[in-house]
Formats: sequence, C-alpha cells, structure tokens
Amino acid sequence: MLSFRSLFAAAWMGIQHDLAWTTPAASLLLDVVAPFASIMTVSIIYWFGASHGTTPFDPARLAYILVGATLYAHVAAYAWVPTAAIAEGKNLGVFPHIYITSRSTALYLAGRALSSFAISTTTSMLALCFAYFAVGGFLHEPVPLMITPLSVVLLAVALLVNIPGALGLGYLLGAYSLYASKFEWSLPGYVAGLLMIFSGAIFPTSTLPWPLSVAAAGLPFTQFIAAARDAVIAPGNLGGYGPSLLYCLAGGVIMLAAFLVVYLSAEKRARRDGVLDRRLA
Amino acid sequence: METRPWLRTARARAQVRLWSIFGEPLWIIVNMGFPIFSSLAFSLLYLSIGAGSYVGFAVLGGVMVAFWGNVLWSMASNFNWDKQEGLFDIYLTSPASITALLVGMAAGGILATAPTAGIVTVLGWLLFHPVVSPSWPAVVLTFGLTLVALYALGMTLSSLYLVYGREAETMNNVIQEPVSMLSGMYFPSIGAFSPFPFALQVAASLIPLTIGMDALRKSLFFGQGVEGLWLDLFLLADLAVAMLIASAVSLDALERKGRRDGTISVRIR
Repeated sequence: MLSFRSLFAAAWMGIQHDLAWTTPAASLLLDVVAPFASIMTVSIIYWFGASHGTTPFDPARLAYILVGATLYAHVAAYAWVPTAAIAEGKNLGVFPHIYITSRSTALYLAGRALSSFAISTTTSMLALCFAYFAVGGFLHEPVPLMITPLSVVLLAVALLVNIPGALGLGYLLGAYSLYASKFEWSLPGYVAGLLMIFSGAIFPTSTLPWPLSVAAAGLPFTQFIAAARDAVIAPGNLGGYGPSLLYCLAGGVIMLAAFLVVYLSAEKRARRDGVLDRRLA
Repeated sequence: METRPWLRTARARAQVRLWSIFGEPLWIIVNMGFPIFSSLAFSLLYLSIGAGSYVGFAVLGGVMVAFWGNVLWSMASNFNWDKQEGLFDIYLTSPASITALLVGMAAGGILATAPTAGIVTVLGWLLFHPVVSPSWPAVVLTFGLTLVALYALGMTLSSLYLVYGREAETMNNVIQEPVSMLSGMYFPSIGAFSPFPFALQVAASLIPLTIGMDALRKSLFFGQGVEGLWLDLFLLADLAVAMLIASAVSLDALERKGRRDGTISVRIR
C-alpha cells in the first residue's frame, strides 16, 4: 500500500546513508568525481578518434557524447540502488528491520531510489558543468550546449519522466538480490554495461547491427537520452522532444508495472523460503 | 626473516584466491561484465566516428581495466572485507607475514583475472579485428612489469585502507574512473597525442598504469621493441620498487597505529 510517510522516511534514510558519512558537501563532491571522469574519458576518446580518423571533428557530436555520457552515468548511479540497498542491508543486518515492518520492502526501495535520484541528479549535473569547462580547457573545442530557462525545464522534465523506467529496472535487479548472496554486486555492472551500449549514450543505436539497433532504439532509456539531447543541444529539436518523452514515459510505466509485480512475487516467495534475512542465501 | 613460512603464507593466500575463482567458474563470467562491456562500447564508439584503426586501444583498455578492477576491489579493499568477516583477526594473531599475504593475494589475483583478460581479448579480436603490429618480447616484458607495478600499487592502497572502514568502498569508487582516465586506458594520455597539459601528464605518470598503457600501445600496435621502450620499462620497474617499499613502510606504520589505537580489527566503522 502506498504510504508517503514511509516513502519519505526511506528517502531520508537514503540521503543519510549516502551523504552523512562525511560532510554532505564533501560527499557530493566525491560523488561528482566518477561521473566527471567517465564523461571526460568518453569525450577524449571522441576527440582523439575524430582527430585521427576519417570523419572530421564535429562539436555537435561532442555535445551529443557529453550529454549522453552524463545521463548514462546518472541512470546507472540510481537504477542499481535497490540492489545495493538489499545486498548491503542483508550484509549489515539492516534489511531484516525493514521487512518485519507492515510495509512492503518495495516502498523502502522506492524511497532509496528516489533519494539516490536526487543525489545523482545533483552530482551528474555538476559533473556535466565541470566536464563542459574541462573539455573547453583541455581540448580547446566549443561544446554547443543550449542553457536557457526553457531548456533546463525540459531537461528536468525528462529526468523526472525517466524515473519509472529506472525504478522498474531497480526492482528487477532487486528481485534477484533477494535470493542472491554472491553475484548481486556485479549484476548492476552488467546492466550498466548493457545500457552503455544499447541506450545510445555514446554512439547512435544505428551503429549496432540489426535487430539490436531496433531493440536499442525502443528502450525507454534511449528515448530519455534522446529527449534530453533535443532539449539542451543547440539548436534544439522541440519537435523530437515530445514524442521521445512520451515513448520514454509509456515504456517506463510498463517496465515499472511489470518489474514491480516480479519484485513483489519474489519478495513473497523469499519470505516464504526464509531467505530475506540470510547473509548467505 | 625466514623465507619458508613467508613463501608458504603467500602461496596459501594465492591458493585461496584461485580456488575462489576457479572453484566456481561463474565468478569468471561475473567478473568479465564491466571489462567486456566497456571495451565493446568504446570499440563501437571508435568505429562510429570513423576511427576503426584505433579499436585495438579499446580492446587493450578492456583487458587492463580487468586488472585495475581486481587491484581496487580485490586487493586495496580486501583487508576491509576481511575485517568484516573476522578473517583479519586471524591474520593478526597468526605468525603469518601480512606482506606475504598481500603478495599471495596479488599473485592469485593476477592468475584469477587472466581468464577475464583472455576472454576480452578473444572477443575483441573476433568482433573487431583490431590491427596489431606487435613486438612480442616488448609486449610481454611491458605487460609483466605493468602488472607488477600495478599490484604493488594495490598493496600500497591496501595498507592505507587498513585505517578506513566502509569509506574504503567510497574511496575505490572515487579513484576508479579518474585513474582510468588519467592513465589513458582507452586513449593516449601522455605524449604527443595527449589532450592533457604537461604538468598533468607528469602527475599521471606517477600511476603505473599510465606508463604501462603507453608502452603497451607502442609495443602492441606500433611495433616498438625493447630498445625503443627502455625508458618506459625503466620507469615501470622504478615505480614497482617504489610502490613495494611504500606499501611495506605504510603497512608497518598503520598496523602499529591500528594496534595502538585498538582500531585495527574493528569490523564495521
């Protein structure tokens, strides 16, 4: 049953877990380092490849990669939080305190994912800002990003619309983590790796061979990144923004509904099998 | 110091690592996820921008990132997990040398990561046919020295992480990507083709991977032999020795501090 109080409590716990181990500012800054470095890595690969390859350097393509890499890092950072919350919770004995309450653990995971979304949004946008200036400084190339009140609002809407899909993915991974006790840490790495390839984050999905290219283009995450690019890369493409966003929302809601059912079934079965509080399931 | 117990300790720790991987081959599949996907993604990026001749850089990066991940997560932070599991107390109360444990852990880690590196290589070769022009003696020597220097860095980090609790994981997350970037795992980060200013290139060269990756690219893709890479090899050897000394010194100092403060075997901080 939906309870905003429980959701808020879980989100607050997530904020405490992720930021309160040191000062919040230091914690946020440390969280910026990894996405910043990964955005820079991808941007430099493009710069190096384009400088020595057969296709001339294109600033618009650099912006395409910069935005895609940022949003990929953003999704990867919070989609796996349900898995981490379960795995770490079981390991440290926190999760049993959650599942003995009257609420479903799904609500707890949603709260944790939302808090991570808020943190990841902050850190990935900071990373994008730093990378924007670093790319300009190191590569001496302009990045045609379009930062206006409208583009920021459109980007914020796209980020919000992507939540159902990312949460759905989190529930699917979480369902596995309820049972697993060895390989759950690496599963999100696999999914993040697949997203890097299939979400059009750093190269167009049309690069992939058919039918993978068609499947990749149909992912809500691909549409989310496409919509965000339409919003912030000059000269903008508002005609493409709406359809991409609608597709992302529809796909995300379907994913969320389907994988929530999977998670709830797994949770029910895990309670019955008595594995919810086992460190070694 | 008696060498026999030291060697037996190192061998025993290496065996644990090997059994943990090869006793459950699913671990190999689990470990190869990140190296394979990052290698695939960056290879496809090179292809999509008309720079297919550099696809080999991405494949080589995937191979080396497997070892870097192993150093970070199975060397540097291992004592932290051992503390949580209660194993570290046993190490401390036994006559086993902690340095021997680390050396065994490193040797086992290299052998345990080898299948992942091999699979990334084969898959990259089958999918993308990267153009290579190797000077094999130089490749083998550079690869070996890079691993020694890299795992020596892991031993140094491991000793530093003795003073951390759960912050060790955060530290790993913080340094993993920047080191990959600065060391030029997928592109040249030092030399004429580097995008970085000279001062940053010098700083990056203090990471063993930076020199190692540069030398590996030169020997594997541009056919440079040992005679053309002597400076890189010399620097790598120097870094390896310096890291080993640093790890021994810091391990000793932090172990004594931990014992004095009573925090060395605190499981969760």
